[in-house]
Amino acid sequence: MGGGKKRRQRGPQHLSSTVRLERRTLWTQNAVEGKAVYGESLRRFSGKEHRRWDPTRSKLGAGMLRTNRDPGLLLPEQGDTVLYLGAGHGTSVSHLYDHLCGASNRFGGRLVCVDLAPRCLRDLTFMAKQRPGLVPVLGDARQHAAWGVLLPTKVPWLFQDVAQAGQVDIFLSACDRFLQPGGLGLLSLKAASERWTGEGESALFASVEQRLLDSGHEVEEVVELTGYEDNHRLFVVRKQGA
Amino acid sequence: MWLWYDWQAAAVVDEHGHLVDVMQWDGHMTEHAVVERLRLIASGQPIREARELHERFPEAKLCVHGDPELPEAEWPLPSPEQQTIADAAALRLAVEGVQAAASDPDRRLEHLVRGSDELRASHLTMESRLIEWAGLFFPLSTVGDRAAYVRAVANSDAPEAFAVAMEIEVPAELPTELEWRTVKEWAESTASANGRLDRMEHALRQLADSHLPSVSALVGPLLAARLCVEAHGRARLARLPSGTVQILGAEKAFFHHLKTGAPSPKHGHIFMHPWISRSPRWVRGKIARMLAGKISIAAKIDAFEGTAWTEDDVVKVEERVEAIREAHKQPPPRR
Repeated sequence: MGGGKKRRQRGPQHLSSTVRLERRTLWTQNAVEGKAVYGESLRRFSGKEHRRWDPTRSKLGAGMLRTNRDPGLLLPEQGDTVLYLGAGHGTSVSHLYDHLCGASNRFGGRLVCVDLAPRCLRDLTFMAKQRPGLVPVLGDARQHAAWGVLLPTKVPWLFQDVAQAGQVDIFLSACDRFLQPGGLGLLSLKAASERWTGEGESALFASVEQRLLDSGHEVEEVVELTGYEDNHRLFVVRKQGA
Repeated sequence: MWLWYDWQAAAVVDEHGHLVDVMQWDGHMTEHAVVERLRLIASGQPIREARELHERFPEAKLCVHGDPELPEAEWPLPSPEQQTIADAAALRLAVEGVQAAASDPDRRLEHLVRGSDELRASHLTMESRLIEWAGLFFPLSTVGDRAAYVRAVANSDAPEAFAVAMEIEVPAELPTELEWRTVKEWAESTASANGRLDRMEHALRQLADSHLPSVSALVGPLLAARLCVEAHGRARLARLPSGTVQILGAEKAFFHHLKTGAPSPKHGHIFMHPWISRSPRWVRGKIARMLAGKISIAAKIDAFEGTAWTEDDVVKVEERVEAIREAHKQPPPRR
């Protein structure tokens, strides 16, 4: 080997039938034509309207641009049922929906997104009204019993972005309860939200990685988001089994 | 034995993971009915089918779907069509939850406090501009009551009318008709901002009196509301240590103190209270410490809905303030 990083080929790269990578920008085919969700730019590629996925507003988008592997590996399969904890105002959620469900849910996906803040949920409920398969839940990411009945079976893909202390504990218990063996868990970790008296951020990230490994997960990649989102890292975790 | 349930079915399972009995919801699955069931589960209670099964199998342990205690089994899970109904119901539930946030007085107080701050700031700059502006044309006019001065400009259709109202000579240099009209309109909006500010603070007082009756009785509704907003809510205010309540609003000085070892702040927003701001410098810290303790007690009474403080309780605190002032009549000797 030793050839260094493979150069990305010119021209668009299709990560799925609705997600494309144009050089350094990500685009998803708009599930609700003509409408931008958060003021992102709209553009047509081969007659289909696409929304630009802003990596500075979405940690999932940032992770896909920063990963050293194929960015498509971070996404779930189209038509899966997935869980998103800490949905926020729905920036990532809207693009994930474009990929997972497509226009009027033609792929048959389900996207359950949980957030604690009524203000965030308000934006999500507006989005959900035009997007069948998007299920907003006003609730605590830690209280699985309150909304867990909405996920009859375990999911193959889970994303967590809650900027609060104990993010790793929340993530591990959610993986335990909702992620199927062999499923992919993504944890966006904000260093400033953790209580940390040790030395340096890198030591904190290393200790988190160790905890994920200790709990029987395989850490596939740790994506550095600096530049798009400072003091954040995206942990890509594969649950053992199956 | 365990009794499994989700929103549409309940099942009893034995140690080997065999279903002993299953009961499915046979009613008409309307969105409304599903919302009720999801709400029941969110509050930690079992659905009707689960309760009925539990009567027949009282030894079975009630577990909601996904409970780690449950064994593996072929649960009677909802069909895709039923799941679609549940999704619609979940959306409905989320919308209702968002609406319920409007009844949260903490959020209402925040808008009232921050809004009245913004309005006051803009009112004050507009008022001082108007006084400078009108004073430029009428150097002889004197400003006694600033609000009355603003009203006098707003009520004068021409510069001459203003001179008459102010009982001064009409100066030689006068603004054009168009220019005076802009001055007058500026005065009108300043006066209306004044009125809006009054009404806003009235609404703020009313809400604070009902949401924080004890703290409002102790330090006045405006300060009570400000403390509540700075603490991010009544429940959090009640849980803060009183040392934090004492310096709420003095974060800059506090972190400067932590960083450089400069003297610590003795009072934050509570400095607004005349017991502190009208006391001699050397007792302010002592009174602030005592008052912050009392505010913490009052906030706990309000947050846990105890009997609100009355005038008598406040008088007792005032006696403490007087006692501190009496005990330290002279400034401490300089070291």
